[in-house]
Amino acid sequence: MEILDGLTVINSFTLAELEVGEHFLWKIGNFSVHGQVLITSWLVIGLLVLASVAASQNIQRIPSGIQNFMEYALEFIRDLAKSQLGEKEYRPWVPFIGTLFLFIFVSNWGGALVPWKLIELPSGELAAPTNDINTTVALALLTSLAYFYAGLSKKGLGYFKGYVEPIPILLPIKVLEDFTKPLSLSFRLFGNIVADELVVGVFVLLVPLFVPLPLMALGLFTSAIQALIFATLAGAYIHEALEGHGEEEHG
Amino acid sequence: MFDFDATLPIMALQFLLLTYILNLVFYKPLTKALDERDAYVRENEVDARERLSKAEKLVKEYELQIAGARRESQSILEQAQADAKNINAQKTAEAQQQVQSEREKAAQEIQQQKEAAMQSLEQQVDALSRQILEKLLGAELVR
Repeated sequence: MEILDGLTVINSFTLAELEVGEHFLWKIGNFSVHGQVLITSWLVIGLLVLASVAASQNIQRIPSGIQNFMEYALEFIRDLAKSQLGEKEYRPWVPFIGTLFLFIFVSNWGGALVPWKLIELPSGELAAPTNDINTTVALALLTSLAYFYAGLSKKGLGYFKGYVEPIPILLPIKVLEDFTKPLSLSFRLFGNIVADELVVGVFVLLVPLFVPLPLMALGLFTSAIQALIFATLAGAYIHEALEGHGEEEHG
Repeated sequence: MFDFDATLPIMALQFLLLTYILNLVFYKPLTKALDERDAYVRENEVDARERLSKAEKLVKEYELQIAGARRESQSILEQAQADAKNINAQKTAEAQQQVQSEREKAAQEIQQQKEAAMQSLEQQVDALSRQILEKLLGAELVR
């Protein structure tokens, strides 16, 4: 009996609890929004803006501290964009791809590292914004819009000629691609983050001490990789649109 | 799990806003800083390379000068040695000549004095032989 009592004592500290599909709903007019997602996304945005302002407030030729760190981040993003878009075209797309990477990365790591469970909400729980399908779909749709914009602004309506080149038979597949791209982007990110949080949640529920740590480390790893993949694929899609659906790869 | 609602457009707008803000406070200023640093480093490198080549040229020039000076000093040394030898030989010859002439002069003097001494001796011999004759034969006979 005492052992059981001890167990209930441990379980009374609910550090993790499985809640899937429960939301902290806010009503705005006729629309409902997921409050917990927006709150964490605001925190993420605030963190990014604060770090950026702190880094660029007093720019020195010899960087130090936060400026050095953010310059490292910027160089990483620039290299990422450059490797996807090429030396000539990458500059205007650095902000979009970089913000994708930073937002997803900080969201994922924030969801994995910050013990959100300690903050009580009326319903639902605070977690990474990327834990919600709305966020990932929003980002994926923006990526689609971005590559359409890239193609149209570069080639005008001639961009759509790329759909029937080199042979028109591929037209349905190419149209289909425009739907599968955002779908795969959003579901890959969403699935990975949700799966990671669920696995960690289940493990914490079963064995609250030490055992979930390797999984959490793995979660951090996958989170970082997912952010990188999302940004890299966005870059690749934009590059494809700029180059013209693949046939001028070396042009 | 898959319940879409107004979160989606709000999130999209938020994201675009974030992109805009970060472009203003992060990408633009830091990209500018990076580019400026690149330019600064490149400039300094070019400058330093120029200075290096200049310094190397100076070193070469100085080395040439040193070699010239060394050659010059060598030739001066040789000249001085030759001069010294010449002077030496000349002085030696002069001294020998002087010695020779002095010896000749001395020999002449000796000869002169010898002759003078012989003359005076001869006169004395004459006088003495006369006295000897006078003593032996008497004054009347000698005359």
